[in-house]
Amino acid sequence: MTHRAVVEAVRAAAHRSASDGGGLVVSVAFYVVIVGTLSGLWRVAVDANGGDLAGYSAVALTWYIITSEAAIVSVNARHIEDIGTDIAHGTVAVEMLRPASVLGIRMATEVGRGLPKVVVLWGAGAVVATVVAGAPPRPAALLLAAPSLVLAITANLFAQHTVAAIAFWIRDAGSVWFLYLKAVFITGGMIIPMELLPDGLQTASLFMPFRAMAYVPARLAAGYWEPALLLEQVFWIAVLAVVANAAFGAGERRLQVVGG
Amino acid sequence: MRALWATVRNAFAEVLAKPRALAAQMAVMMINDFVWVVFWVLFFDRVGTLGGWDRDSIILLQAVLTTAGGLSLGLFANARRIGAMAVGGDLDAVLALPVAPLPFVLLRRIEPVNLGDLAFGVGLFAVACHPTPGRTLVFVLVVLASTILLTGFLVLTGALAFFIGRSESGELGFHAMLLLGAYPVDLFAGAIRILLFTVVPAAFVSAVPARLVDDFEAGRAVALGSAAAVFAIAAAATFTLGLRRYTSGSIWTRA
Repeated sequence: MTHRAVVEAVRAAAHRSASDGGGLVVSVAFYVVIVGTLSGLWRVAVDANGGDLAGYSAVALTWYIITSEAAIVSVNARHIEDIGTDIAHGTVAVEMLRPASVLGIRMATEVGRGLPKVVVLWGAGAVVATVVAGAPPRPAALLLAAPSLVLAITANLFAQHTVAAIAFWIRDAGSVWFLYLKAVFITGGMIIPMELLPDGLQTASLFMPFRAMAYVPARLAAGYWEPALLLEQVFWIAVLAVVANAAFGAGERRLQVVGG
Repeated sequence: MRALWATVRNAFAEVLAKPRALAAQMAVMMINDFVWVVFWVLFFDRVGTLGGWDRDSIILLQAVLTTAGGLSLGLFANARRIGAMAVGGDLDAVLALPVAPLPFVLLRRIEPVNLGDLAFGVGLFAVACHPTPGRTLVFVLVVLASTILLTGFLVLTGALAFFIGRSESGELGFHAMLLLGAYPVDLFAGAIRILLFTVVPAAFVSAVPARLVDDFEAGRAVALGSAAAVFAIAAAATFTLGLRRYTSGSIWTRA
């Protein structure tokens, strides 16, 4: 697969996503309701605990929530189900006829689709956070949070493709996305920072890829200057890319043998 | 009435025809609900009591919400599809039948996934909400009121599609209601609190019923009953008025 094909897939998908004004408006409206409610809950909790929860202030937790939610909401939550449907209905079998990696083009397309969304959502979230809580606790840390969001989306999509690949064998990944999203909720730090989890769960989450998808960019946006977290994301992307590639490779070989 | 009863029987027969799929879908939703309960337990273990809400009361709120949500979205599954049906012209077949359209549409389809909510909610109440006979009776009554309110709200927001020509209002109303209903209303103040008691009456779907189970108060019960009645009547009226504006989609298969 050429570098140009990937770049073109990202560009075309990003253009399509940015052109869907109605879709973006609905996404932003939904996102604002979510972050408004959830961050409100956390602010009340922080205030009731003397202005500090595990090192997070009310402002920091607000920026945490608007970032973790942007990272997750900008990716189609039911993507696992969609990939499974494409595998079961033969769409993937047709894509295998192209002179390009099925996984590579799909990843490029989905990352491209997510980029305009995450920019718009994070921007809307920044406005909400500034209005209801205050300016970012450490603006410089946002310089780390921005690339971290892109890495978070990439890690999330690789993981979704890895999980969805089971559809090559069981033909139906229908409900799995529900369970996947719930894993991201807690062990990914999407709705609760890792530092607030019980010790055992916190330790367990270190060995799972989910925190690379929400917690890392959120922690950075909350004002923590921890560049090593970006390396953690890169590590998980590398692991997930290898596993997804192997799963799709095996699945495609199965399609060639037994048919789509 | 016999026709509606037969409709219910058919809807159940459809769902029960695939018992393994039913069990799997229910299990997935129960895991989903369990994760939310885990979140709230972690949250309140960490922050203690907030606005009169603690771990036990939030578990009760989740029991009410999942039970009422399971009844509304599971047994009256088309409630959240009214908007799409109105816009897509899917009501043609219903209008040709000798039954009242709204009850028929609501009872026609059962959503297996949300039966998981129902089972989870009842189970959660039985296991973690100290079910004495008195509390159980109140739980049943408030869940019924909450179900009527939620179904009415979904039909009302969906039926707006008859007038505005787009179905997003129903879907947004559905998501807003379930999202906001999961939170203890006393944590919010100002405009959001007013919103939760009026435009998106999520407070009446979960927080108010849960409070009634813990601490029954006649005034609060009347408010809940009134809200349920208002939304049920408004939903039926909006749907009936909307039907006059309905234009056929020439589709006879999906109702």
